Amino acid sequence: MIASFDATETVLALCLTGISLVCLYDRHLVRACCFFVAFALTMTTAWWHIGASWLAVVEFLLGALMTGLSLFYALGLFLPRGASPLIRDTFVDVWPRKVARVFLVLGWLVMLGAVIRFAIPGLFNAPLEQPLLLAGIMMIASGLGAFALHRHLVRRLLAFNILGSGVFMVLVGVAGPTATAQALISVGLCIAWLGSMLAALLIQQLVYLAGADSMRGDGDLGERAR
Amino acid sequence: MNAAWLPLTTLLTSLLAAAVIFTLPENARQLRTSANLLAAVGKIILVGLMAVRVSAGHEDTFSFQIVGSVDFVLRADALGVMFAGLSSLLWLCTTVYAIGYLEGSANRKRFFGFFSLCVASTLGIALAGNLFTFLIFYEMLTLSTYPLVVHAGTQKALDAGRIYLRYTLSAGVVLLLGAVLLYALTGEHTFSSEEGLGNYLAHHRGLLLLIFALLVGGLAVKAAMVPLHGWLPRAMVAPAPVSALLHAVAVVKAGAFGILRVIYDLYGIELSVELGVTTALAVMASITIIYGSLRALAQQELKPRLAFSTISQVSYVVLGVSLFGPFGTIGALAHLLHQGLMKVTLFFCAGNYAEELGIHRIDEMDGAGRRMPLTSLAFTIGALGMIGLPPLAGFITKWYLGVGAVQAQMYWVVAVLVASSSLNAMYFLPILHRLWFRTGPAHGQGQWPKEQRLGRLETHGWLLWPMVFTALASLGAGLLAGLPFSPLDWASRVASGEYLP
Amino acid sequence: MIWRFGLSDSTFEPLISAHWALGVALAAPLLLGLMGAVLPPKRAWPVALGYLPVLVSGVALLCTFEQSGLMRWQWELAGVGVSLRLNGLGVLLLLTTQWIGFAAALYTPGLLRLGETEPLSRWLWPLMGGLLSALSLIWLATDLLTLYVALELMGLAAVGMLILSGKPAALLAGMRYLLLALVGSLAYLLGVALVLGQWGRLDLQGLAEMVEPGPVAWISAALMGAGLALKAALFPLHGWLSPVHGSAWTPVSALHAALVIKASLFLLLQLWSILLTDSFYAPHIIALLGALAIVWGGVLAWRTDSLKTLVASSTVAQLGYLMVVFPLLLSPDISPLSRALAWDGFWLQLIGHAFAKAAMFMAAGNLMLATGEATLKGLAGTSRRMPLSLLVLGIAAVTLMGLPPSAGFTAKWLLLDAMVKSQQWWAIAALLIGSLLTAAYVFRLFRYSFYESAPRHHYQPLAPGMDLIALTLALAAFALGLLAHFPLTLLHEGGA
Repeated sequence: MIASFDATETVLALCLTGISLVCLYDRHLVRACCFFVAFALTMTTAWWHIGASWLAVVEFLLGALMTGLSLFYALGLFLPRGASPLIRDTFVDVWPRKVARVFLVLGWLVMLGAVIRFAIPGLFNAPLEQPLLLAGIMMIASGLGAFALHRHLVRRLLAFNILGSGVFMVLVGVAGPTATAQALISVGLCIAWLGSMLAALLIQQLVYLAGADSMRGDGDLGERAR
Repeated sequence: MNAAWLPLTTLLTSLLAAAVIFTLPENARQLRTSANLLAAVGKIILVGLMAVRVSAGHEDTFSFQIVGSVDFVLRADALGVMFAGLSSLLWLCTTVYAIGYLEGSANRKRFFGFFSLCVASTLGIALAGNLFTFLIFYEMLTLSTYPLVVHAGTQKALDAGRIYLRYTLSAGVVLLLGAVLLYALTGEHTFSSEEGLGNYLAHHRGLLLLIFALLVGGLAVKAAMVPLHGWLPRAMVAPAPVSALLHAVAVVKAGAFGILRVIYDLYGIELSVELGVTTALAVMASITIIYGSLRALAQQELKPRLAFSTISQVSYVVLGVSLFGPFGTIGALAHLLHQGLMKVTLFFCAGNYAEELGIHRIDEMDGAGRRMPLTSLAFTIGALGMIGLPPLAGFITKWYLGVGAVQAQMYWVVAVLVASSSLNAMYFLPILHRLWFRTGPAHGQGQWPKEQRLGRLETHGWLLWPMVFTALASLGAGLLAGLPFSPLDWASRVASGEYLP
Repeated sequence: MIWRFGLSDSTFEPLISAHWALGVALAAPLLLGLMGAVLPPKRAWPVALGYLPVLVSGVALLCTFEQSGLMRWQWELAGVGVSLRLNGLGVLLLLTTQWIGFAAALYTPGLLRLGETEPLSRWLWPLMGGLLSALSLIWLATDLLTLYVALELMGLAAVGMLILSGKPAALLAGMRYLLLALVGSLAYLLGVALVLGQWGRLDLQGLAEMVEPGPVAWISAALMGAGLALKAALFPLHGWLSPVHGSAWTPVSALHAALVIKASLFLLLQLWSILLTDSFYAPHIIALLGALAIVWGGVLAWRTDSLKTLVASSTVAQLGYLMVVFPLLLSPDISPLSRALAWDGFWLQLIGHAFAKAAMFMAAGNLMLATGEATLKGLAGTSRRMPLSLLVLGIAAVTLMGLPPSAGFTAKWLLLDAMVKSQQWWAIAALLIGSLLTAAYVFRLFRYSFYESAPRHHYQPLAPGMDLIALTLALAAFALGLLAHFPLTLLHEGGA
């Protein structure tokens, strides 16, 4: 379990929360991706701090390095035909999808609340004693919010990655940094990287086929393409 | 000695024929015809063998386990062999007829493939040894008939197909529910078990009634009982051989046969009477008989008139069953065979008129007797048999039904019989009058709607001879009713099996 | 319920030959797929030859299971336990996977030869191999970590395969599927975290002994259930399914609808039977959603004009049949007899649907390839020109409609019997209405095919065997109905 009140942890937790929020809600996407790398590095430090050294290595390699590269690739920074990423994320969506998305997020949040209420009673009683766990929950919540609000594919990808990091944090908070937990999180990081890479390839192919506008989401273009 | 291979081989004959026909190319006409005829003849021989074995007291059974308590059972008992005999005999005739009828038209491979599947299903229905097996083939019949109904591919045919499916598939669902309820109540219950469901009467009277209603309700759709008959007249857009065999015999008889099985072999007659369902059935059947005849009277075209006549005639079978007595039973069973022979003859004739002369409406038939004497003669035999004139086959069944009604002291049934016979006369005799006594194109007045010279005789030989054969058979079934292996004799054998344990 | 999944100790240690068979069954598809990426096969026979060891391993595992019953494997790597088991259900699902995978792999060279040459087509092989390996692992694994790995591998491989056709619509749909699947797996992971925190272990056998009902068990069941339901496209989380299939390659769609979705469902049932030992409401909610899925999927399939959407929407409805069975399998107030019947019916329906749906996708793919049209109207006249493809579609549809003599019918019979015995009347109504709706959309399709009015002159000829493969799958679904006794016997030996 994470030790009681600890200055370093508090700082780390505050950093994580702050950086994740900036990363999620900054409309300048290149900057947001840079912030994501910073976020992953902070996560690495956090893992190191709570004694999960293997996890820190994995997070550094896969989370910061590989996923960061994937994100930049998705933005088209490595290719001459790279589209301008500096776009505001405006979109119109049909209402059933909006409703569906809101329900999805609400369901997630309700379950998260139940987790906090029943599975982590310590947090419920003294919320400030485990700052990293709190940060994890904040990351999950903000990630979910971003996931529901945003249409831009790269922003959704970012949201997923932050959400994933939040879940890993909560996992360690609930189960402690045991070997099994570390193995689970390593697999999770691996999957997140693979998913991000696949998504980056997908986005670039989409931009190549259908123009830079297609990055802006599956709302109206989806209907047009069909 | 149990010859398990016999029912199985009989079933496989037409399944195999279907598989062979589907693999042959569309234009391999000779091969397809030979496969068809070979299978049909082989099947008649096999069914004959089964009949001999049944009369020698054997009941050949083939069965294997499907799941848990549910088995797949094929059993050659007297009632089943009777229906199998009817369908395989008429299959041969209709196949010959269909080969001639579809000469040169498209999609013959599909037609004959599904035709064989249909007959396989009918045979499976006949030989099914329990409700589960019956259900399998009953649904197979629905599916394999659909391509035949929509064969023409026209808008009208497709609409008819849709209506047909709506009725039969809904009925299938109802039947399935009834069957599952019955299995859940009693477990495996073959048609051959002796005791019936009497044991369950004390505690499950309501449930038994419900199951009976579901089963008979599901079957009554195929038996085209009013008000579930709507699909049959519409399905008449199908080619004539399909109307002849399937809608006059196989499909509607499958429904009627199923009702027979439910009452005789599943519930037992005593239980049915005790539940009071037979009276309800008798009333329903009577309504159907009268209603069908009235509607037939109103039709201006030949095939729809025959279709409504079928609706009316099939319910004689149900009526006979519900009379509760040996005579009623014999009448019902014999009618199953007699009506099949006569109605097939009538539909063959209607098809011949349509093919040779282009006649579809009744008022176009004036004087056709002179142009097509054999066809008209066959039509006359069929029509008079339907009316019930002695010594034709139809007379025998009506006589037995009447006697059965008197014995059961249900005198109103006699009134229904009389009324129906006079209605039959009212819609068939004008046609006969037109055929023989009115002057028409054959006498030089006007011309036929679409005349073709299909053969050296009055029409194509493939169309003519099956019709002549079935006409003679329906004549013979009446004249020679006393001989062994005649329909009446076999029906009496089945009935005595039911009433004399 | 636990013993049915084979979560108990085995009598015999697995033999050396069993080790080998297991290794081949798990690793060979992936290795073969990688080989396929290096040397893409152009004909069906090299595929058949290469796949042979996989089939042999399946049969070998079946034989060893017949001889020595339940088998377990356990390894410990750096403090992390990995465990596998082989029970009757596992063998059955493994064989289903291998044979459907075989059919899809055989079908692929012909398709790639006929279709426009895609630069990405060689990547289909490793993804397909990875998918089959991951599926085999899911059927056999008994700890949450291994299951997580396998589930994710399967999900990523599936996304990769589905987007290979490379059309913008496919890419967008694939992207949506990818993001949803990833978020779903995070929900699953959070559930696993709760289990790990509460009971400190991840092996299912140990959990089955330790878990007692309580809020933590419920929440983790809900989290894992939500994640898996998203991946299994259970109603109302099915929105991603039809677009994803819209422009995917035929064998990919076949594998996805037949197996990938089922794997998540299998996992859902297995985990819930451990975590929710006495819950009444959860399975009933699933069943209620299932009833809605039957109706909604049927209506979707009925209204659509696209052939592939029809087949994909019918998957939603067919999954509804399986969901409706959940109370019979999980609810505490069900008699053992009903439960046994429902158990048999559930798996028979699942396997029968796998074969039928694979066949149906292949037949639909053949029709679309030959006519060049993707709509129902484009089918006009096919009953004359392409009778075999249409016949395959028909035979597969019979299974979906649950009409005899097919696996769908036998399964429906078993399920109805179980429902009558446990008086679940509304479930019966859902099942029967589902049959009618299925018939409605299936025959709407056939109605178009019987139109004789469309003059068409050019049909693309198919590669030899493409129809035959589909026909074999469809007939397998038929045979499963009549010969259901054999696979079900295998199921009953699960816990011995």
